[in-house]
Amino acid sequence: MHSLKDYLRLYFIIETQYIKARMQYRADFLISSIGMFFSSLATLGIFWVIFHSIPDLAGWSFMQLVFIYGFYMIAISPMQILFDHIWQIRFHVQQGTFLKYYFRPLNMMFYYMSEMFDSKGLTQLAAGIVVLIYASIQLDLSWTLSRVALLLLTLFSASLVQISITVLAGCAAFWVLDAYPVLGLAWRLREFAPYPMNIFDGAFRFTFTFIIPLGFVAFYPSQLFLQPEEVSSLVYFSPLVGIGLFALTYWVWTKGVNSYTGTGS
Amino acid sequence: MKAYLAMMRGAYMIGLVYRFGFLFSIAGNLIYMSITYFLWRSIYQDRETLRGLTFDETYIYVALGSAVFILLKTYVDWQMSYDIREGMVAIYLTKPLDLQLYELFTSLGFALHALTTVTLSTFLLLIFVFHIEIPLGIGLLLFPFSLVLAYLVSFCFDYFIGLLAFYTESVWGLSITKEVIITVLSGALIPLQFFPEVIRKILLWLPFQAIYYTPLTMVAKPNLGWETFLPMLGIQLFWVAALFALTRLFYNQAVKVLRISGG
Repeated sequence: MHSLKDYLRLYFIIETQYIKARMQYRADFLISSIGMFFSSLATLGIFWVIFHSIPDLAGWSFMQLVFIYGFYMIAISPMQILFDHIWQIRFHVQQGTFLKYYFRPLNMMFYYMSEMFDSKGLTQLAAGIVVLIYASIQLDLSWTLSRVALLLLTLFSASLVQISITVLAGCAAFWVLDAYPVLGLAWRLREFAPYPMNIFDGAFRFTFTFIIPLGFVAFYPSQLFLQPEEVSSLVYFSPLVGIGLFALTYWVWTKGVNSYTGTGS
Repeated sequence: MKAYLAMMRGAYMIGLVYRFGFLFSIAGNLIYMSITYFLWRSIYQDRETLRGLTFDETYIYVALGSAVFILLKTYVDWQMSYDIREGMVAIYLTKPLDLQLYELFTSLGFALHALTTVTLSTFLLLIFVFHIEIPLGIGLLLFPFSLVLAYLVSFCFDYFIGLLAFYTESVWGLSITKEVIITVLSGALIPLQFFPEVIRKILLWLPFQAIYYTPLTMVAKPNLGWETFLPMLGIQLFWVAALFALTRLFYNQAVKVLRISGG
């Protein structure tokens, strides 16, 4: 067994090499960062256009949605930066190259995910921080030390929720030939995480709260800061949701890894 | 021509192999359509019309938009960048084929598969699950033509990005940027009527609206009459011709820088 310190040191070494390799395509690297920036701001543009025609969306103002969106951008960044390799899993499983991950004395999820470090996610993270600060100034929110701590805790949990949903979708590759549609669906659904959950009626709100807990990526935790006096008790569970969901994901991943039989070649 | 049709057929068959993917796309579309339904319901609340569109019109527009979205994504840029990195493109170049037509017909095979599965099923879901009555009008007749032209415009953009891969090899960033620009500015997610007046006027002059706004308007508001629809089709045709010519010219430049090592 390796200690956490070993893993951190290893991760640093692997990523340094990875970034060197990526630098081969320098032009694309630069354009990717710019592209990421624009694609993160596109949804804000859509909010802006919608609010051009209406004063509020299900009781939420434009600036409140900007805040939720800033929270969302930060929360989805760790998935983008650290777990981006999940998109390749179907290739590795189909082609049999996944076998190589069994042969190192390392945690397999760590080893697999460490093969990619998506630095353009850093652009998204930076944009998210700027948007969140901007919205909280516009909304005149007051920040104390304990509230900042609460923000960091909820962001940590929210990012675990996002990681879990995507990795779970990717794990489908262990059981079906083409997992891309499953991942694609998780990816498409993700776009709706920054929308107020109260626009949905019973069945859908239930689904996005308890089954595919998209609501915990941004909307529920943001309420702690936007309307601290009228949050439902559900919101206080958000740190637990992230940790619980990640534990489940890790369990499914381990099941998948153990059931994979290779391609026979 | 026969050779190109054979490629199209091949691509269609590949689509058929992944049946699970097709079922999942339909399920995905159903969820996506429901979400947009709630979203637009809460945008409209109890307003009769917004920007001259009723809820039904807007909903037909955006729901069909999500179905057409899968159809109009050609993935030619990703495919070309892959082929260039792997050196496969050298094989195509040695054959008596036109690269632009080769890419077009292969992508058409996939599109035909998406059309017969995802797009048609969305139409059926729209009518039978969401009980949306699609009004009858000449727009519905013109829609298929408009959709073909929209596909060709979309193809030109993807092919153009694919050609850029001759220079940059990897096109992730360019493709994502292109996709964002097209989805926002073409009216794929929101009908152009919702944009502020000045921006809307500018967008109508750009080629992006020919991809989503034009065909979707023909189904959402099929009674606008020939005098509105014919100029719309004319503009689409203009963009198809212009972009096909431009990408051909660009190909002649791009192919000169191609270097494939060994293999």
